Amino acid sequence: MFERRLYYHIDWALLLAILALCALGVVMIYSTSADPIRGNSRLHVTQLYAIVLGVGLMVFMLALDYRTFADKSHWIYVGLLAILLYVLFFGQAQMGARRWISFGGFNLQPSEFAKVGVALVLAKFFGENRGSPGWSDLAIGGALTALPLALIAKEPDLGTAVTLLPVLLAVAYLAGMRMRVLGVLALSLVLAAPIVWKFALKDYQKSRISTFLDPSQDARGAGYQQIQARITVGSGGVQGKGFMQGTQGQLRFLPVAHNDFIFSVLAEEQGFAGVLVALGLYLFVILRALEAARLAKDRLGSYLVLGVLASFTFQVVYNITMSAGLAPVKGLTLPLMSYGGSSMVATLAAFGLVLNVRMRRFTN
Amino acid sequence: MAQHEERRRIGIRLSVAQYLITVLFSILAVSFWVLQVVQHAKFEEMAENNHQRTLPLRAPRGVVFDRNGRVLVENRPSYSISIVREPTKSLDRTVRLLAAVLGVDEAQIRETVDRHRREPSYRPITVVQDATLAQVAAVTARRLDSELPDVVVEDVPTRQYPADAVAAHLFGYVGEVNDAQVAGDTGLKSGDIVGQSGVEKVYNRLLMGKDGAKRVIVNSLGREIRVLDEEHPDEGNRLQLTVDSDVQRAIEDAFNASGFNGAAVILDPGNGEVLGFMSRPAYDPNAFATGIDRATWGALNTDELRPLQNRAIQGLYSPGSTFKMAVAMAALEENVITPDYQVRCAGSASFFGRSFKCWKRGGHGTVDLRQAIEQSCNVYFYTIGNMTGIHKIHKWATLLGLGEESGIDLPNEIQGLVPSPEWKQRRFKEKWYAGETISVAIGQGGVSLTPVSMAVYAATLANGGTRITPHLLKAVDDGNGWEAVPTPAPHSTVPLDPEKLQAIRDGLWGVVNGRGTGGRARVAGHDVSGKTGTAQVISNQGRLAARTNRDLRDNGWFVFFAPRDRPEIAGVVLLEHGMHGPNAASVARHIIDTYFAKKEGRPLPPAPTRAELRLDMSDPLGPKPTPRQDDPDPAPSATPSGQNTVTN
Repeated sequence: MFERRLYYHIDWALLLAILALCALGVVMIYSTSADPIRGNSRLHVTQLYAIVLGVGLMVFMLALDYRTFADKSHWIYVGLLAILLYVLFFGQAQMGARRWISFGGFNLQPSEFAKVGVALVLAKFFGENRGSPGWSDLAIGGALTALPLALIAKEPDLGTAVTLLPVLLAVAYLAGMRMRVLGVLALSLVLAAPIVWKFALKDYQKSRISTFLDPSQDARGAGYQQIQARITVGSGGVQGKGFMQGTQGQLRFLPVAHNDFIFSVLAEEQGFAGVLVALGLYLFVILRALEAARLAKDRLGSYLVLGVLASFTFQVVYNITMSAGLAPVKGLTLPLMSYGGSSMVATLAAFGLVLNVRMRRFTN
Repeated sequence: MAQHEERRRIGIRLSVAQYLITVLFSILAVSFWVLQVVQHAKFEEMAENNHQRTLPLRAPRGVVFDRNGRVLVENRPSYSISIVREPTKSLDRTVRLLAAVLGVDEAQIRETVDRHRREPSYRPITVVQDATLAQVAAVTARRLDSELPDVVVEDVPTRQYPADAVAAHLFGYVGEVNDAQVAGDTGLKSGDIVGQSGVEKVYNRLLMGKDGAKRVIVNSLGREIRVLDEEHPDEGNRLQLTVDSDVQRAIEDAFNASGFNGAAVILDPGNGEVLGFMSRPAYDPNAFATGIDRATWGALNTDELRPLQNRAIQGLYSPGSTFKMAVAMAALEENVITPDYQVRCAGSASFFGRSFKCWKRGGHGTVDLRQAIEQSCNVYFYTIGNMTGIHKIHKWATLLGLGEESGIDLPNEIQGLVPSPEWKQRRFKEKWYAGETISVAIGQGGVSLTPVSMAVYAATLANGGTRITPHLLKAVDDGNGWEAVPTPAPHSTVPLDPEKLQAIRDGLWGVVNGRGTGGRARVAGHDVSGKTGTAQVISNQGRLAARTNRDLRDNGWFVFFAPRDRPEIAGVVLLEHGMHGPNAASVARHIIDTYFAKKEGRPLPPAPTRAELRLDMSDPLGPKPTPRQDDPDPAPSATPSGQNTVTN
């Protein structure tokens, strides 16, 4: 099953870049959570466990041919929906949201895995079609995406739910959807925005967006985080303030520094130099993965890679923009670096699929 | 073919994605470059403001010692509770919560905050000074809960003065600097505590220390994480005053026993060092040290007795008979008379067609200068005053320090008045009548003097003509050891003819040790020499006619020095409405006795009781008019020129 020669086709460079980002994340988590007053936190250790677990799952995702996963994608999809439903009713409630399933010691966030599941099922669906997808294909694909999206949005976890949209767009785009259709889609999104604003968004979400447009109108409330994010990043300078020397992160001027704002802390402590390194690594990972899509043996492989990559890239770009205080604050983590076991395991598993596609480009 | 077409499409679309993503990342990189490199300075400052707080460390004012090194004024630790508005999210909430926690009126805190609204928000606004431990504990607990992150408890050294308002007018008081003071002195800033009166004001520059500062790191909840650096406050210079706390205590005790208000100034006639200084009624300077409340301040200002007035340097009083030595000095030095010059006193005498009475109805008979001083014979002084003339009297009174500022190192001293024809012309555009000289000769007729100038007068007679400058500062310690302050130069030195001076001294000695009016000031073996004076506040006729609650009883004076031939202490005691000069002599006795007891190492005399003072409380015009025939040294019953000496 795992032929020995496949081993030589593993994209070690991509794997190394991914692990480098994970390591950077662990270091930054340590920096932000180590508290000399309250004793050392164990967050970075938890994160290391998650990485080990994620690499294990990655190996599993490598071991089987991605086509096997694709063939079983409808079951995976159905299972995913079931779990999301379960979460909605029986999940662990924290801060007004049911997002987690509790397994004794740790919590699992199924929505993180939804991205991989949706990528698989969409790749499979569009991969089976020949020629450019028509409106009906798009409608089916849309429905496949909308179902888990709605369930996740209901938790509520709008941030994660929204990351499913790029998956659909990216796969449809690669499957040859006409640019005109894409344009119509984009236009309808713009037109829908006021309606969404009026009916779908909760007050705190509205205030986040309006504060983004003018942070100073609420410098102590919602705009606070955004201003603090800019101060954090800007005060880092070229060299940075040094490991564990960032005042903004260390003194908690920035909320959830180890999580949503980990990149801000990196920018503060490691400076523009550190930012360039991290940006470079992410860009490398993305471009290298795109290379895998190009090299893929079949459409399925290409779609799958791009589907997985779409949510990843969207999250990376959005989170980094937000870290610099240049986008509304949204509970979106930075994949591979932010603290969070589910996200880490799911992301590594997803990259397992990417490596899988590239590795098996010569097999039949 | 279709397969190939599809590959081509996928390849193109992937390339588009690649470019798109590369462009996105480039934009991100540029954004970070702008924030981190271009705008770095701005954000760095904002980050520092975020987490650094500068807290003032108040410098204690210099400790004040007496001449023997005993502490007079020191500092005690106190806490003030302040609001730092910088991290405040809702000032309204903070004020409300703080008022509830402290148990203080909310409106009062709000008013304080409003008053400082325009100041930079990092500067603490003190809302409660000298907070109780319960208040400090309550605030500290709320701070730890992060309920009041914008409230700080400051450790503030507070001035502590002796209890019972001892020497209150000498020390003065401190208070928050006012806007005019800040504008006038670049070394001061809003919120500083400066001397507003007394020694505290005059030597503010020396006493005021240099505040330090502490820069601390705070977290987002305003909690102090660690101290970044600390600039220690410099304590103000320590001052040693010329005051002797035992003499001061004696003054206070004697006045307490007498129950009168008034003033006392005790000097070393050799160099002008002030050994004791008092004005009554007084205020408690401690009430000012922690920010005086409005009610107390209002009461002090509206009190008819004017406790804030420093009577010793700001009160003007008719000197009465105590002025007679100046007239005698003028007559002797101008060679108008000799000490043996005799005048016959028949109880009254006539000048310029008017009759002027002596206080002793039957008259003193024939008296010479010594006897005239001893018995305070008015007719004698009417006579020699008339012979000497107003110009010479004015000249010699001035040389003795009367009607002049003493130059003591206290703020807002006022100048007394010894009338002269020039003055009258200037003031009233009227010419001088020779009859007025007769009144001036016994210290009435517009002569109005400050107690401190009377002390200088006594000292000048004691030291033989040197008009010393009374002063309070003896030495300064700026941290490098005590350094003596040079004695201020005397205003003038007129070598008085020892023989003539001796005649006056003999007379003064007789006042206390002979048949005179100051017998109650006698201290065995110390040749106390002095002169009593009883001066009208208003003429007797005026007083009888007055329908007022104001106290119009006569003032009692005693000016003195001791011992007669080698004086080492000189001074004045004024009892406001003390009715009789001899009452002042009683008060002075305790002071003089204490001085010599201390010098000789005897146990200090205990505070006198009222009975021991043997006060004469008879009021010739009181409810029971029982005019005493031989009331020693009463005020003359007429002020012939018609000018009443309503001086206080």
